[in-house]
Amino acid sequence: MGNKKHTLFILGPVIGGLALLPALRPDVYYLSALFTLFMYAALACGWNIFGGYTGYMNFGHAAFFGIGAYTSAFLLVRYGLSPFYTAIIGGILAAILAAIISWPCLRLRGPYFVLVTLCLGLAVRVVVINLEFTGSSQGLWLRLLPVSIFVNRVIFYETMLGILLVTILIAMWIERSKFGLGLRSIRQDEDSAETQGVNATQLKIAAFIISAFLAGIVGSIYAYYRTYIHPDFIFDISISVLVVLMSLLGGCNTWVGPVIGAGILVFINEFLTAYTGIGAEISRIIYGLLLVVVIMYLPNGLIGLFKKRA
Amino acid sequence: MQVISAHEFIQGVVSGLLLGGTYAVLAVGFSLMLGVTHVVNLSHPAFALVGAYITYWLLKLSGFNPIASLLVVIPILFILGVIMERTVIRETARRTKDLTSASLVLTFGIAIILENLLLYICKADPRLVTTSYTGKSLFVGDIALPMTQLMSFGVAAVTVGAIYFFLQHTFLGKAARSVWQDREGAILSGINVSQIMALTFGISLASAGVGGMCMSLMYAIEPATHYSWITVVFAVVILGGVGSMLGTAIAGLILGLVIGISSVMMPLTWINLVLFSIIILLLLMKPTGLFQR
Repeated sequence: MGNKKHTLFILGPVIGGLALLPALRPDVYYLSALFTLFMYAALACGWNIFGGYTGYMNFGHAAFFGIGAYTSAFLLVRYGLSPFYTAIIGGILAAILAAIISWPCLRLRGPYFVLVTLCLGLAVRVVVINLEFTGSSQGLWLRLLPVSIFVNRVIFYETMLGILLVTILIAMWIERSKFGLGLRSIRQDEDSAETQGVNATQLKIAAFIISAFLAGIVGSIYAYYRTYIHPDFIFDISISVLVVLMSLLGGCNTWVGPVIGAGILVFINEFLTAYTGIGAEISRIIYGLLLVVVIMYLPNGLIGLFKKRA
Repeated sequence: MQVISAHEFIQGVVSGLLLGGTYAVLAVGFSLMLGVTHVVNLSHPAFALVGAYITYWLLKLSGFNPIASLLVVIPILFILGVIMERTVIRETARRTKDLTSASLVLTFGIAIILENLLLYICKADPRLVTTSYTGKSLFVGDIALPMTQLMSFGVAAVTVGAIYFFLQHTFLGKAARSVWQDREGAILSGINVSQIMALTFGISLASAGVGGMCMSLMYAIEPATHYSWITVVFAVVILGGVGSMLGTAIAGLILGLVIGISSVMMPLTWINLVLFSIIILLLLMKPTGLFQR
């Protein structure tokens, strides 16, 4: 995506059209499905800022997502603060966790980093299940917005679209900046990058924090959307995995890849569960197969296919 | 956290050490595979779970003794390992320079497939392998040695010992170690690296199956169990360091000890957190493992 103007020419009308979609009064189902799509696209794009550009596979993204969800849910249940405002706090807490974790973790490379983030995702879930104020294993109930179900869905639809737009803009800005260049040089060869004067550690920590912050915000809004949260599906490892898979499927080098990957996977999932009626197990088996096939035959993702031809 | 008596403490130490043997056998194949083939096999615990489920169904359907079921588990998992290497791993290795990174995602995909296949076939119910000696214990003084823990420790010790013997004293084992140390050098010396890769996968998954059988004697299993086992495997490998059989064995015992002691002091659900803290602390102090040369 070399040309900034071209990208904006395509992106502007697409986002604008999607923002105006509720005016056509579509079925609530489509708004919910698109909400899910935007959510995963925002998560994957946010994950990609760290995991994709630097090549450090973070398999614990659900931890940051979940921290955001629990923060805003807790503030709503206990103090009556709307998640639309407290989402920022959720994001900040997720960023703080990332900052703390990054200190020991980012000294690690390759497999060790993956192992630790994977364990992190599992560990945070255990903590939340065992804490009293998070509702332990019973979860938390959030009250609904006092509006009709359609208006309710429209509000969340537009909010998540907004978050996705912000995430994409941040990712675009990073890609064009010296910061992004540094991150990608880390992916190619961290040692060489460092000898060329790239402060790898600093860049990695910054990208990790941005990535976690965005995930925290998405999680905060998601909690309000679901109205009920429980560690089992908020800290679900399959969220972490899906986000990685979406980025890999689309291609990790640009923001477009994760968004396309999210679109394809959410569509496949909706199709498999809503139309063919096969169980969640089979659709996850298909996800697993996709993961294997993508790694085996499409090391650069779908975007790589088009790039090669051009 | 609660105050515990000396007796409870000793009991924790003993059952922790017995448990540690199983941890070691669960992790030994992972370490071997990472060393020889540079593949991080995130599906290792999922294959262990396959072994555990085979044990369970053999016992449930035809009353097979879990120890005897190893005669079935080991060959099946060995073959699965060879197939895995000959198909997906080989294909991936042909296309990428960085097999380690690629294998992370690849094997995660395989873990998801296995988990959901188990979920589809066996449903999500927790399963317990209940033998005639489950719940029985030997007593030394007033310290109880549960039969299941003794059995799994015995099996684990024999398996780790056998792998150690294989690597140290057989031609193929020495060949595997030479690939581990210097791949190009091994090729130049006429070692068939592709054969060694397949063999390593077979042995690694077979040992995972043994580990799974041992775990199933002591704990209930369900298709998602492999996520908690994965933490154990990582902790052992990080503690022991990739590249040392002895390190892995000792790390398994140390970890078992820590888990044994902490499990008499806090609820079982916190164990994953303890493991995670151990991993983080270890990585902070010595990222290459305590026993790395």
